[in-house]
Amino acid sequence: MPVRKLALLVVSVFAAFACGGSTGPATGETIIFGAPLGLTGSLAKESELTKQGYDLWSDWINARGGIVVGGVRHPVQIKYYDDTSDPNQSAVLTQKLITTDKANFLLGPYGSTATNTDAAIAEQNQIPMVEANGAAEAIFNRGYKYTFGVLSPAGKYLQGVLDMAATLTPKPTTIFMLSADDAFSLEVAKGVETYAPTKGMTVFPTKKYKNGTTQLSAEVAAARAANPDIVLNSGHFLEAVAINKAAKEQKLNAKIFAYSVGPSTPDFINSLGKDADYVYGGSQWTPQVKYTPAFYLTVPQYVAAYKTKFPSFGDPDYHVAMSTMACLALQKAIENANSLDQKKVRDALAVLDVTTFAGQIKFDSRGLNIYKPMVVEQIQSGAHHTVFPLDVADAKPKYPTPPWDQR
Amino acid sequence: MTDFVQLVILGLLAGGVYVAVGVGFGLVWGVLNIVNLAHGALVIIGGYLTWLLFTTFHLDPFLTLPLDAVALFLLGYALQRGVINRVIRAPLLFTFLLTFGLTLVIVNVLLLVFGSDFRSVTPSYAGASLEFGRVVVPYVRLASLVVAIGLAAGLAFMLNRTRTGLAIQAIAADREAAQLVGIDLRHAYAVTYGLGAACAGVAGGLIAMIQAITPTAGQPYTLQAFVVVILGGLGRVSATVVGGLVFGLVEVFGQSIPGSGSVFTNAIAFGLMVIVLVTRPQGLMGRLH
Repeated sequence: MPVRKLALLVVSVFAAFACGGSTGPATGETIIFGAPLGLTGSLAKESELTKQGYDLWSDWINARGGIVVGGVRHPVQIKYYDDTSDPNQSAVLTQKLITTDKANFLLGPYGSTATNTDAAIAEQNQIPMVEANGAAEAIFNRGYKYTFGVLSPAGKYLQGVLDMAATLTPKPTTIFMLSADDAFSLEVAKGVETYAPTKGMTVFPTKKYKNGTTQLSAEVAAARAANPDIVLNSGHFLEAVAINKAAKEQKLNAKIFAYSVGPSTPDFINSLGKDADYVYGGSQWTPQVKYTPAFYLTVPQYVAAYKTKFPSFGDPDYHVAMSTMACLALQKAIENANSLDQKKVRDALAVLDVTTFAGQIKFDSRGLNIYKPMVVEQIQSGAHHTVFPLDVADAKPKYPTPPWDQR
Repeated sequence: MTDFVQLVILGLLAGGVYVAVGVGFGLVWGVLNIVNLAHGALVIIGGYLTWLLFTTFHLDPFLTLPLDAVALFLLGYALQRGVINRVIRAPLLFTFLLTFGLTLVIVNVLLLVFGSDFRSVTPSYAGASLEFGRVVVPYVRLASLVVAIGLAAGLAFMLNRTRTGLAIQAIAADREAAQLVGIDLRHAYAVTYGLGAACAGVAGGLIAMIQAITPTAGQPYTLQAFVVVILGGLGRVSATVVGGLVFGLVEVFGQSIPGSGSVFTNAIAFGLMVIVLVTRPQGLMGRLH
């Protein structure tokens, strides 16, 4: 078989050159990160963004040969399963990743509910899980030692908006809070209820609605009757769009409209057109922030890398950046521990303190990254702008929001 | 008082969408005895068609509704003729499984074609409303209610005044007798399912204007259609209209209960459904056969 021999020869020559050329550390066994994601089902959109964030990092680290442990480079493979957006399925697949696929470490699924179920599995098996898409504090109040979240926790989601509002003139003083009834949204609402009085603002009793409702006319009518300066919603994308549409229909005029989830995505502007203008949103990260990273990429480099790999997506949103940040936390902890031992990496995560392109990573005793601030975005003339905190802002808040009939 | 009037109006307007979703579901259930779990998925296909025509051809969303109806009629006809007819005599569980399976297929095809991005149709007049003092009547929702009532009236006219409609009614009343007088059962079944799908398509077009849609956004509407049809009563279009409007009112007033009333809107709606089933099993407007 001369052809096969020739091929063998070519391969061995290349291999010889490759070995001869490399002067860096030797290559060790592949590290497996396991990640169940809702690649189909109701969370497919956000799960896709999560996967993009993970993949962006794994491309980068593998281009460098992998994570260096004890002088040996270990390539990284991220093993995905589709949990069909079902938290129970997510937990089953997490166990499968650990038992069958021998995952060394875990990356989180999308959403607080799935993160909560998966955290229990990670804890039972004592495998560290770093997650970027479950911000409900309930996950971290169960005494788990192996789950770490890089997100700013739920309670802080809309606090940035209140901080910003306190700097504006005329200062808004009354808040009407709408909230979905899932754990995450209720924590966001609770954060507002406890924080607003410290800023000299009063909150009407929070109007709760069923998670996933798109028929919110009555809630908006209640807000209109209260005539508040600020209308806040703590819920999800569909509810945010429904509220904004109903607010226009019913001429609910407030000085500030801010929604916990929704405004930061391009879909929000696409769905609402110019009615999306003036809306504020709390965001974990924006492409405009200016952190000085200790390693990995800077913010502009990150945005450029994302646009190269995913040209049809525009700027990366915070789901993507946070997901990459989770990988960075694991990478740094493995390097600091200088070991692949799960217990040692867990201990290294607990004392980690590093700044990345997406902000600081430092966990409190529960595993929550309470040290990273939230930023406030506003949609102005169909584009996202970071308006608070002032040191990272690229535009001034357009305040107050004009009444619907004067836009 | 103005608050009360406002809520009644918002409730009736919300009911418009439920009427549109309910009539097609009720027709298929009443005639074919199929609880069509794919109804919500068909609704969302209609929504995507309207979105597509609006964004690519800048067609007014209300003008796209007849196109939605025609496209969905053809799809529904083909689905019934090619797939569902094969299990139409099988036990209820089979049609459940099949229509549930169809939902999964439709949702995943939509995910492949459109991705999971949220879409919404926002024409220039979206959000405009009539004002009477403090009371507002949003145009788009008012027009949706008018379309829904028109759809129901058209369907009722068709069922009661045309040959095809009478044939469908005859099948619903007595299948064997209908066959004996020469009605082509398979064709009539397919037309019925097609009409149900056409109504779903129109409902989807309306929904794309009122909320944002994704391929999975149709599932709640299957459930709501179910409640609406039971509330009103099976077998009459006008009953579904009443069911839809009552459902809208119940929802809005449930949401307005101080505190966390809206958390329990589903519980309230289903509670009402149970009460109706216990006290008036034929529905608010239904007639017992």
